[in-house]
Amino acid sequence: MLGDILTPDLFASALRMATPLALAAIGGTLCERSGVVNIALEGIMLIGAFAAAAAGLATGSGWLGLLAAIAAGVAVSAIHAFSSINLKSDQVVSGTAINILALGVTGFLMELLYGHPGTTDPVPQMLRPVFHFPNGGEGVLGTVWTWINSIVFSHTPIVYLAIAVAVIAQWAMYRTRWGLRLRALGEHPRAADTVGINVSRGRWIAVMMSGALGGMAGANLVLEQVGSFTENMTNGRGFIALAANIFGRWTPVGSYLASLLFGFADALQIKLQLFRAEIDIPPQFFLMLPYVLTVVVLAGVIGRAVSPAAVGVPYEKG
Amino acid sequence: MSETHEALPEQRRWMGVVQQIGAPVISVIIAIGIGSVIMWVSGYDAGAAFAALFKGSFGSPKAFGDTLLRATPLIFTGLAVAYGFSAGLFNIGAEGQLFMGGLAAAYLGVQLAAQPWYAAVPVLLLGAMAAGAAWAFVPAVLKARIGAHEVITTMMFTYIGKYLVSWLVVGPLKAPGQIPQTVTIGTSAQLPRIQTLFSEATLEALPFLRFGRAHMGIVVAILFAVIMWAILKYTTLGYEARAVGFNPTAAETGGISVSSTIIKALCISGALAGLSGAVEVMGVHYKIFDQFSSGFGFTGIAVALVAKKNPLGVIPAALLFGALSAGSGLMQLEADVPQKIISIIQAVVIFLIAAESVIQWFIKRRQKEALSHAG
Repeated sequence: MLGDILTPDLFASALRMATPLALAAIGGTLCERSGVVNIALEGIMLIGAFAAAAAGLATGSGWLGLLAAIAAGVAVSAIHAFSSINLKSDQVVSGTAINILALGVTGFLMELLYGHPGTTDPVPQMLRPVFHFPNGGEGVLGTVWTWINSIVFSHTPIVYLAIAVAVIAQWAMYRTRWGLRLRALGEHPRAADTVGINVSRGRWIAVMMSGALGGMAGANLVLEQVGSFTENMTNGRGFIALAANIFGRWTPVGSYLASLLFGFADALQIKLQLFRAEIDIPPQFFLMLPYVLTVVVLAGVIGRAVSPAAVGVPYEKG
Repeated sequence: MSETHEALPEQRRWMGVVQQIGAPVISVIIAIGIGSVIMWVSGYDAGAAFAALFKGSFGSPKAFGDTLLRATPLIFTGLAVAYGFSAGLFNIGAEGQLFMGGLAAAYLGVQLAAQPWYAAVPVLLLGAMAAGAAWAFVPAVLKARIGAHEVITTMMFTYIGKYLVSWLVVGPLKAPGQIPQTVTIGTSAQLPRIQTLFSEATLEALPFLRFGRAHMGIVVAILFAVIMWAILKYTTLGYEARAVGFNPTAAETGGISVSSTIIKALCISGALAGLSGAVEVMGVHYKIFDQFSSGFGFTGIAVALVAKKNPLGVIPAALLFGALSAGSGLMQLEADVPQKIISIIQAVVIFLIAAESVIQWFIKRRQKEALSHAG
């Protein structure tokens, strides 16, 4: 049975499931490195998902759906940026407001545009896998190729995009002037201010980048995984992503790898549900798995992970 | 000259009250205004919508009863979140603790069906408190010992709790029949509807007492609001919670154990949220099923913020959100406006209250003007 579970398909699915988490987690990383907590990722992702579905349905194009999701994510994150940076609101409360707003706005628009609550029609054009190679045949070489083909070459565009984002963000954060400044904003904004860095502008940019990534995560859910929008379809992924960001110690590649772990848990629970007859464990317990894992991971790692020093603290220009 | 000096403390006290009540009231008014604009832009008749909203929440004794009905669980979740806030904790997962409290009440209500009400009701309430506190315990310990953010952990426990309930109502606790729900609790464990306490003759004479579905849970809720207010204000428990919420380092220096205070505060918060689930089971549904809460745990956040963390303020705040929720059904029916507009209004209220500095600045400016006119 183990052979039926540990298939190439399982690992490919882990990568797919990890993608929305990773994008949001990297968004969380950039945001928190600049000193702003982003509890709003859940809501940003949900609004991104809705925008992707609405634009996809209206235009028939998956790519325009992705663009709309990014734009919507940036727009919503701007509200968070304005209230936490300019109005100096409590960032966790502001993020919570965005999450409630996202539930309300997507539900409201759903009824306004489509006349019913629940789920939209399927988008006519999802984003298709980038490569189309046949699987290998019999024999060792054939099997090896099948594994490589499913894990590396079977994916849709945003899955590859997420990997690229992780690598580029890691490079930018540690190898560029922008990255050094970003980290300074979250560690010691006063020092950054003293050497002439514009604290609120830097934070605004980081929050909006996290909005773009959160929107992209929502687009992945609709355009590459589910095919339609359902109310509250993000189901806590924004919060799991925050945990992945912590587990990844506030680094983009770390966030990606942590998301892979959660993605694997999700892929595994989906796979195990196929074997319900043999395992005889209620499906609800499988569905709990990603959430339980998140708590376990947080419990195991937190003491050793240190958050950016100034995260969550509004900057008062002295 | 001396006259203004004597007048000042009086005016200051008045200003304090205005600042306490003014900011939430202004926030709510602005949010309703923004809600109207959204309705208007979307092509709905905002006037008709608010008329229907009002009619459905305060228009008749029965409508007011619906407002009380919705406000009852919100008082508890509002108290839960507010108590957490007092200790500097954000219990975003009240919804999960509510599910556990409801589960405990639904289970005990069946077990104790043969007991008289004065035995059954307190045991159900205590059981729900214990279950809610237990569901907050792990996040509380993780927060106190290693600093794991309670926003993430309590949220995760909400999902875990919902799946647990959704398994129990199709599995071990499922009532016979097709519908995934538990067996109906005993009559003695149910909270009676308010109007059943009066004789038919009294109701004939005083028809405004026909509160429809509103039940005695509202009385329990108000009682708990007063108890929590007293605990926060007059007991060591409440003092320690406030001290830790205000400044944990100073509290620790002053000899308060921050970690045990955090554990106690989050568990008390969980217990209050658990009660919210209990009154829904005991007063409304008499059983538990998958979707038995319409997000009362999350609305509790808005309630606590509007109440400015004050347990007594939770009562009017819960009535406000209870009214919005009670009236939204008729609003959808009569003005065709999707009920979700209520969530949008809620979110705007939270934004505005979070952006307190702006509103405070606005109020202070007005007061300065008033004072300078007076002077």
